[in-house]
Amino acid sequence: MNVLIVEDEKALALEINEFLSREGYIVEHAWKKSSAEEKIFVNNYDFILLDLGLPDGDGFDVLRQFKQLKDREDAVIILTARSAVDDRISGLDGGADDYLAKPFSLNELLARMNAIKRRKHKLDKNEVIVHQFVLDIQNRTVSFNNERISLTKKEFEIFNYLALNKNRVVSRISLTEHVWGDILEVNSDSNFVDVHVKNLRKKLSQFADTNWFETVRSVGYRINY
Amino acid sequence: MKLQVKFALYNAITKVTIILVLGLIILLSLETISSHHLDARLTKKRLKLIDNLNAAEIDSLLTSQRSFTDYNILKEEFIVLNIIPKTGKISPHLNFTTERREIEGDIEIYRILTDQFEFNNKRYQLELGEAMTAVESIKSTIRFYMLMVLIGALLVTLITDYAFTNFILRPFYQIIDQKLNKVNDPISYRHENIPTNTTDFKILDESINSLMKKINSLFMLEKQFIANVSHELLTPISVLSSRLENILSDESLQPGHEEKLLASLKTLNRLKLIINSLLLISKVENEQYLKQDQVELKAVLVDCYDDLEDRIVAKNITYSNLIERGLSFVGNRALIHTLLINIINNAIKYNTFGGTITISEGIRPENYVLRIADSGLGMAAEAVKNAFNRFERVPGNDEDGFGLGLAIANSVAKFHGILVDIQSEKGHGTMVSISFPL
Repeated sequence: MNVLIVEDEKALALEINEFLSREGYIVEHAWKKSSAEEKIFVNNYDFILLDLGLPDGDGFDVLRQFKQLKDREDAVIILTARSAVDDRISGLDGGADDYLAKPFSLNELLARMNAIKRRKHKLDKNEVIVHQFVLDIQNRTVSFNNERISLTKKEFEIFNYLALNKNRVVSRISLTEHVWGDILEVNSDSNFVDVHVKNLRKKLSQFADTNWFETVRSVGYRINY
Repeated sequence: MKLQVKFALYNAITKVTIILVLGLIILLSLETISSHHLDARLTKKRLKLIDNLNAAEIDSLLTSQRSFTDYNILKEEFIVLNIIPKTGKISPHLNFTTERREIEGDIEIYRILTDQFEFNNKRYQLELGEAMTAVESIKSTIRFYMLMVLIGALLVTLITDYAFTNFILRPFYQIIDQKLNKVNDPISYRHENIPTNTTDFKILDESINSLMKKINSLFMLEKQFIANVSHELLTPISVLSSRLENILSDESLQPGHEEKLLASLKTLNRLKLIINSLLLISKVENEQYLKQDQVELKAVLVDCYDDLEDRIVAKNITYSNLIERGLSFVGNRALIHTLLINIINNAIKYNTFGGTITISEGIRPENYVLRIADSGLGMAAEAVKNAFNRFERVPGNDEDGFGLGLAIANSVAKFHGILVDIQSEKGHGTMVSISFPL
């Protein structure tokens, strides 16, 4: 799978590149609006990660140009530090598949990309299977051998997020931010996430062995499948 | 009181005062003039009487008093002569008085001249009286007309003054209404002048316009500043956090280094949250959010509970939600969620283990009040006053947090026209009342 990163902050683009390359993506860069438009016109990408503030213009223009091309399936994720609400709205109205406010966790980016992949390629079935546990993404439920496991909203979120980041360590910080969002006073304590993970694991282990659900040192958690 | 009413009242009062003073002067001078006139007549009559006085005349007068009726049918005048004992000196002056006298059953007011004289070794007192009925009736007529004129003048002035000031002050009220009352944010301000030919109002209008222009440009400047801060601060944080995440994914990392990197990532995250919170407050104050969602308070409270349930359970807090009716209004749902979650989170954070949180409602004709009461530590009066300030934390409390929760709640509340009131007593818990206007 190939990704185009349109981002003028080279250091950030390099970090995203390193991260996505490890995940097996082929990554290309564009630092400017003009070169981005050129690359998009010439190549097909699976993902276009688009920064809005480019040195020679607005990322929205790139999005508009792209939308005029026919028969293109590229998923566009807007990455921006301009997190004003109207930006988000005009980004999604303009045909972007998702919107991530900087600074974001790389795990969050990967989860969003995987979620888009799920949506695009598995339209017929909204199910993800992790070691015989079936996650129903639509109804946000988990079952094992057709038996429904009663999970709280947060437990499902954690399971799904780790599954979207399969075989990768997800830090507590990233997990906390994903589950509780950006609310400062609530987000400031990441110990609560451990309680939820503990409960989740306990519920799952009643059905099958869960040694694929790892606690990785002091960093965080990982689901291998 | 409105300026217009004040003007009308002032005009009415001054006019009534002038008419009253004039009326009093007229009435008083009328009294003096008529008294002088009567006195002069009485003096003249007395002279004539005294000049013609002799023994026979006196006798006739003394006897005729028993058949006075013949003398004056209209009882307009009378003469009374009495013999009085010779004690003391005779007063050299003529004495005038106004008295009520009964003459043959009728009581009337008379102007009376009293004179004492000696004749043939006897002392007499002579009283000449003249009725004042005519004068009194003129006075009462004048008084009546004056009252009518007064009332008439009062009504006419009140109406004309009110209408006139209304006409004159209309541009002023238009300025107040359109340029001050109806302006909520400087962006939607209308810059065209209100038509008027009164110089003062023109100056007022132009001053407000230029002030608003200044505020508007400051507002835009702040907006620009917020955008810059967002970009210039959040981009480097983004670089750093991505880099740290990449390093952390290296499994060969030494445990000691890993700990340090994790701690750095945590610190960076904290920096990000603080910047985002400050930006949130600024953006709310800069009115950069839309208010277009139909907000169902009950549903938002359920969401808040879901988000905080783990904390409530961890502290073994009894949480009772007594909301029955709830409230539906147009606003920004995400911001209202932030407002409530910050307040409920405080109620949890500063609660005691096994404490209570009670959420109740109060429905009044003018507002809907949501009350969030906890059995927690409470705050001193001084702390309540400062609670909404940025970076203000309950002193002596080791709970983590940044002291921005209530500052955020307050700016969101102001943005929606919601009032947040904190009642608290040290050691007796805290009640936060959130009043939504209806």
